Amino acid sequence: MRFRSVTLGIAWRTLHNFFRNPTLIVPALLFPLFFFTAFAGGLSRVSEAPGFDYAAGYTAFQFVFVLLQASAFGGVFTGFGMARDFESGFGRRMMLAAPGRTAIIAGYALSALVRAVFIWVLLTAIALATGMQVGGDAVDLVGLYALAAIVNFAAMMWAAGIALRFRSLQAGPLMQTPTFLILFTAPVYVPVDLLSGWVEAVARVNPVTAIIEEGRELIAGGGADALPAFGAAAALAVLLAGWALLGLRRAEAAGG
Amino acid sequence: MSHEHPASIEIEGLVKEFKKGPRAVDGIDLRVDPGEIYGFLGPNGAGKSTTVLMLTTLLPPDEGTARVAGYEVRRDGARVRENIGAALQEAALDPFLTAREHMRLQTALHGLPKAERRKRGDSLIERVGLGDAADRKVGGYSGGMKRRLDLALALVHGPRILFLDEPTTGLDIQSRTALWEEVAHLARDEGVTVFLTTQYLEEADALANRVGIIDHGRIVAEGTPESLKAEIGEPSVEAVPSDPERRGDVARVLERFGSGDGECPHAIDQSIAVRLKGGDASLVDVVRALDREGIEVAHLQLHAPTLDDVFLAKTGRTLEGSGQSDAQAPAPADPREPAASGAATA
Repeated sequence: MRFRSVTLGIAWRTLHNFFRNPTLIVPALLFPLFFFTAFAGGLSRVSEAPGFDYAAGYTAFQFVFVLLQASAFGGVFTGFGMARDFESGFGRRMMLAAPGRTAIIAGYALSALVRAVFIWVLLTAIALATGMQVGGDAVDLVGLYALAAIVNFAAMMWAAGIALRFRSLQAGPLMQTPTFLILFTAPVYVPVDLLSGWVEAVARVNPVTAIIEEGRELIAGGGADALPAFGAAAALAVLLAGWALLGLRRAEAAGG
Repeated sequence: MSHEHPASIEIEGLVKEFKKGPRAVDGIDLRVDPGEIYGFLGPNGAGKSTTVLMLTTLLPPDEGTARVAGYEVRRDGARVRENIGAALQEAALDPFLTAREHMRLQTALHGLPKAERRKRGDSLIERVGLGDAADRKVGGYSGGMKRRLDLALALVHGPRILFLDEPTTGLDIQSRTALWEEVAHLARDEGVTVFLTTQYLEEADALANRVGIIDHGRIVAEGTPESLKAEIGEPSVEAVPSDPERRGDVARVLERFGSGDGECPHAIDQSIAVRLKGGDASLVDVVRALDREGIEVAHLQLHAPTLDDVFLAKTGRTLEGSGQSDAQAPAPADPREPAASGAATA
């Protein structure tokens, strides 16, 4: 009961600040919309490359990447807020009051998910308004957004682990840079089969590749074998949740 | 030593050592009884805040045991947190939230039933005098308002034990006095145990039932303010004759009342001072004796030993920051005594 109360309290406060503070909400909205416009609009002729045979079209192809990217960065930016709270001492207020401190992480994670849902709605509406084709049925789409939710959670846990270890906003680049690298070394602009050289080699071992490729299959209506993608996403989420919990123990040992 | 009641706070051999640093807390033992205000006095860096962090379960001790509200801080941290409230050195508030929104968050963190949250929050906001500012963002609050809100937040779940870490640092006289009254009211009328760290002598003197003086991580003296001061010696009387030629006569009179234990620290320039062997009660006799001798006195002052004298005697140094605190300190009536109006307001 207390776990739920602490989680909801922290999520409420984080979201309250997010929705009432233009410096937080505007970049969170502008970045995915900018990427979607630039990638889906500006690079649409990439789909004419030989071997590019994605049935749902380039807008849907890029929509999936931007959706997952926005989900990941929603998690990372929530981690920024967590670092700021611990730097300012507000983290101690939560550590002092919460009987089980895991609920603190859960509160931030819940707020990251709500933020992400808000951006998904906007992004999906704009994508549909600009003519995005959706071949998948309701189950496929639930699968796509479930993948995005797991990515959001995993990124949030990564950022939380950093925030709790460093308890300073100066650790922001440590949250952001690896997330950026792992996303952009996946097949962003073309399917993985069209990549070559070291980029292809990296993309093939990158767990995010399976997630993005499966997302694209789901929106196109061809997501038959979803296990590798969901397995990779779940494994990342579990691993990074462990990383965040160890970070919490480090913060506890350091006095919050 | 046996005690009738279980202690609110009981510490044995508590140690905290930071990496590449000295022992911040070096084996302290102390006991605080229910309803007591315990003043933890010491200069910056003495180990006060580190002790508070350990007692509030924010920092694990390296050695020793600490029981708060009957629970061991390492093993039963969640239980300890249920029973304590804390206002730490810097009021950690969210500048984007109002006081009422802070209350909403704090009541949720403490798991108060939803039906009670609003009522409890509003009553505490009124109690600390922030009713008119309850819906203003905290970013625009003064230091005193932030401290009062921090105190109210610490009380939201009705804790049995309250930790206040330098609660009046940086506050003006009015805010400081209001906070003292509120703290005294909590202990006196609600039976809350208060563990108060401070570097202000007069704060410990005015509020605390007992004082522990900490220096370099060790408790160097402990007792009631009165007993600690009594250890230092009797009060002294300082007199300056109107006619400087009669300085010798004044000295002869004062000698009769003096304890004869050597130099008195308060004798300066034209004044003559002695420690009074009969305590401050003999001041009347001093005045009568001077009058009988026909000595006109330009200045006569009684100096009681202060906690700074105690600190000096125990550590060989004066307490850092005491000058500042003297300059800022008000001289309110002892807030431990019931207020004449019967209500403590902030």
